[in-house]
Amino acid sequence: MNAATTITPSVRQSRVRPSRRTADRMLRISCTLATVLGAIVLGSILLMLIVEGIRGLSPTLFTHPTPGPGTEGGGIANAILGSLVLTTIGIVVATPIGVMAGTFLAEYGRTSKLADVIRFLNDILLSAPSILIGLFVYTLMVRPMGTYSGWAGGVALAIIATPVIVRTTEDMLRLVPGTLREAGAALGAPASTVIRSVTWRAASSGIVTGIILALARIAGETAPLLFTALNNNSWFNANLMGGVANLPVMIYQFALSPYPNWQQLAWAGALLITLAILALSVVARVVIKPQRAR
Amino acid sequence: MSTAAATAATEALTQPATRANADSSAPVRIAVKDLNFYYGQFHGLKNVNLNFHDRQVTALIGPSGCGKSTLLRTFNRIYSLYPEQRAEGQILLDGTNILDPRVDLNDLRARVGMVFQKPTPFPMSIYDNVAFGIRLYEKLPRAELDARVESSLRKAALWDEVKDKLKQSGMGLSGGQQQRLCIARTVAQRPEVILFDEPTSALDPISTGRIEELIEQLRNEFTIAIVTHNMQQAARISQFTAFMYLGELVEFGPTNRIFMNPEKRQTQDYITGRFG
Repeated sequence: MNAATTITPSVRQSRVRPSRRTADRMLRISCTLATVLGAIVLGSILLMLIVEGIRGLSPTLFTHPTPGPGTEGGGIANAILGSLVLTTIGIVVATPIGVMAGTFLAEYGRTSKLADVIRFLNDILLSAPSILIGLFVYTLMVRPMGTYSGWAGGVALAIIATPVIVRTTEDMLRLVPGTLREAGAALGAPASTVIRSVTWRAASSGIVTGIILALARIAGETAPLLFTALNNNSWFNANLMGGVANLPVMIYQFALSPYPNWQQLAWAGALLITLAILALSVVARVVIKPQRAR
Repeated sequence: MSTAAATAATEALTQPATRANADSSAPVRIAVKDLNFYYGQFHGLKNVNLNFHDRQVTALIGPSGCGKSTLLRTFNRIYSLYPEQRAEGQILLDGTNILDPRVDLNDLRARVGMVFQKPTPFPMSIYDNVAFGIRLYEKLPRAELDARVESSLRKAALWDEVKDKLKQSGMGLSGGQQQRLCIARTVAQRPEVILFDEPTSALDPISTGRIEELIEQLRNEFTIAIVTHNMQQAARISQFTAFMYLGELVEFGPTNRIFMNPEKRQTQDYITGRFG
């Protein structure tokens, strides 16, 4: 080695000006503060929910229906069961429509004007206030039928879930490489075969995740159910032609009531719903994992 | 491409290779007549005339964007997936013009198979990948289907590596194995012609060598067209070479002659590495 290559680093001045260091530090501090603030808000909501909710947890929650005004005890079994039924109707109706429409947008309608219009409308529906959808179904079903009903509640939830599924299905199908479609076509497979046996399969975990997230979304919806399924204090009797008890509306009504035992039940219901949504989100993450690994 | 590489290309020719010499007397399998191709307004292929001989490997070479892949993609009309692309002229496959709109595309694609640059295994088992193309056209009893899958995997030199895991996903194989799986899938349909679109450019040298040997063997049964950026590869595995530039066919002939004694200046410049 000759002398020219041996320059001691300490001799060289740092080329980074002090003002740049300050700017860097400021940005880092403000980002951290914002994150901490957000976490504190979220954390206190969860903490309060857990503290208040756990007090109300008891086996009778799952075995007894909601109590009448001024009656002691009782549970929320009818609301839990009703919520399960309503979200099931919602997701069963929304899944085929959503997956098919998403497939149309991603596979058949890539270059068509119609697809652009549908995609735009779907995005609007995606962000529509859910109370509007409740009013819409109220006008469409509850008024003509003369009664609040489980069917109307299921339909309202389906309308909320559909655009979510359309969007995720389209996005997931667009992630499938075009060469896979070309390879299918190059074997002489018609477009429908390529979609059914190749692209849907390639995107399946993403599509399923979208459905689960839609499920999580509608599980906690209140506004559309206020106008449709409303509530029912009696034990659930599988009559979807009448009002059906459900957790969100129960929480809304019981929390505003003057009876301490109702308020306690509302807390317990809120905790249960949060845990259910948490579980769905965890499942969604597990489902999507193998696809990322590929 | 450096001149050293070009020298290597000519060396590949002078070595006593297993590669057979060009057989110009072999019947014409595909005849391209006055072919023009358009991507919307862009004129991608200009009056291309060319014959592909039966059971010969024809390499399409040229710099990026010269139209060699475009030409390959007309032979199974895969371009028709994209509405803005169209071809004019004639491509005669065994005497029938396949550009005729009345030609059944699925039937054509069963006769003209294609292997892509990136391996494209379907998200299903190795067995189902190979059986996919067969099931589209034939309803075979289980035993016959098993036999066809095995013989296709053998022809693709993959059988020994996968025979114990036919039920496992094809996505779990290595890149080179995936590409051989795609070749097996194509071979399983018993096509007449196989199109290779840069089949080794995403593979390591050892996998590349295996695919090249495979193409040499497949030539006994199929007519082969291969697009390649690698001139040594063209020299090693093809009997005929077509050199393309800016959408035109510049020169076509037996590979030996194109590499040793090109007639056109542009061809010589390209294979000696002066441009491209």
